[in-house]
Amino acid sequence: MIIHRVIRKVQRFQGWFGSGAALCLIAGLYIGLVDSPPDYYQGEVVRIMYVHVPLAHTSLFAYIVLSVGSMWYLWKRDPIVDNMCHAVAALGAIFTTLALATGMIWGKPTWNTWWTWDARLTSYSVMLLILISYLMLRTFIDDHEKEARYAAVLAILGLVDLPIIHFSVEWWRTLHQPQSFSMRGVSMSSEILIPLMCMSIGMSLLFSYMLMVRTQLLYLDRLLHAKKGRLLSQFHMSQSDS
Amino acid sequence: MTSLYLRWGGLLIVAVGLSVLTYNHYQQHLSTVSPHQMKEQAPRQEIRLFGMVRGGTLEGKVKAGDATFELMGNDTSVTVHYQGPPPDNLRELKTLILIGKWNPSDNIFEARDIGLITNYGFVIGAYLIGLIPLAIFLFAMSRRVGLLYEEIKESKLYQEE
Repeated sequence: MIIHRVIRKVQRFQGWFGSGAALCLIAGLYIGLVDSPPDYYQGEVVRIMYVHVPLAHTSLFAYIVLSVGSMWYLWKRDPIVDNMCHAVAALGAIFTTLALATGMIWGKPTWNTWWTWDARLTSYSVMLLILISYLMLRTFIDDHEKEARYAAVLAILGLVDLPIIHFSVEWWRTLHQPQSFSMRGVSMSSEILIPLMCMSIGMSLLFSYMLMVRTQLLYLDRLLHAKKGRLLSQFHMSQSDS
Repeated sequence: MTSLYLRWGGLLIVAVGLSVLTYNHYQQHLSTVSPHQMKEQAPRQEIRLFGMVRGGTLEGKVKAGDATFELMGNDTSVTVHYQGPPPDNLRELKTLILIGKWNPSDNIFEARDIGLITNYGFVIGAYLIGLIPLAIFLFAMSRRVGLLYEEIKESKLYQEE
């Protein structure tokens, strides 16, 4: 199948993804922490953006991958894609949690509060809850086929939250600043844009690399369990025969 | 597994190097001294002086960027002559960072600019919280993949059926 071939081809470049992520992140960290100037209004706190924004973008990308993969799974019932969806949900949950945590740290010196029930923050937290529910579904249902199907449906239903997160800063009056990247252009200076782009590319590559490792891990884990189960049943059958 | 540990060892060394560079950058460009420390050390190079403008001492053309006042910190005060860009945050009882040079002959701090008060603790916290869990999670996953491969190889589970 096409998707198998694509996954296998991409897996061959796993090392390149890892090295690329390391290089981009090191360059981004150097430019962001040492080389770039402080912001006129935010001061040094602007440097938190270089880790918070890439984490948030990557978590949204993770959710898009999860929902597209879930649609594909419901259509083709492909176990490899299901495996990838399971892997991406865990990574998405981690990236979302870290984006929320770094956002809270930025919020304290800037808004003078760790948390506020702002539309962007609330809709983003809903995404974390959906991801956690997805992982719980995958843990507590015994039948693997049912588990994969229900989880895929949940992931597709949760897709509704994505446009809400994206447009929340335009639909409602929020404390969160409006989008810096839009159809109207980029509203930031190159001194901020360069480290941000470096970190964003690095974080996306890191996510892809982690996805490959996690998919591999889940596959090997299942393979080991299946093989052990099969050996055990063979052993029981030979025992009952004798 | 050895190559995994070597790779991660290399990454750790790079991370430590980057931390040292960041710390040095902070010490050179962002660290501040109090009036008490400045009087003790009498530095010749440009410094960042941190303190509060004493009430009733601000004189001169503040809006034009030419003012004289006393800056307090750690029970020590120092006379400051500010001459620089028109400031939007220079007022009495305001905590400031002044960039300039100490003139020991007339005991006046010649300030040329007002810096932003740094919140470096938040920045460090965000980077540590944002990156360390990712690194630990990735390391744990890579290690587990290696262990699973070994387990499958050793138990000869992976064979044609």
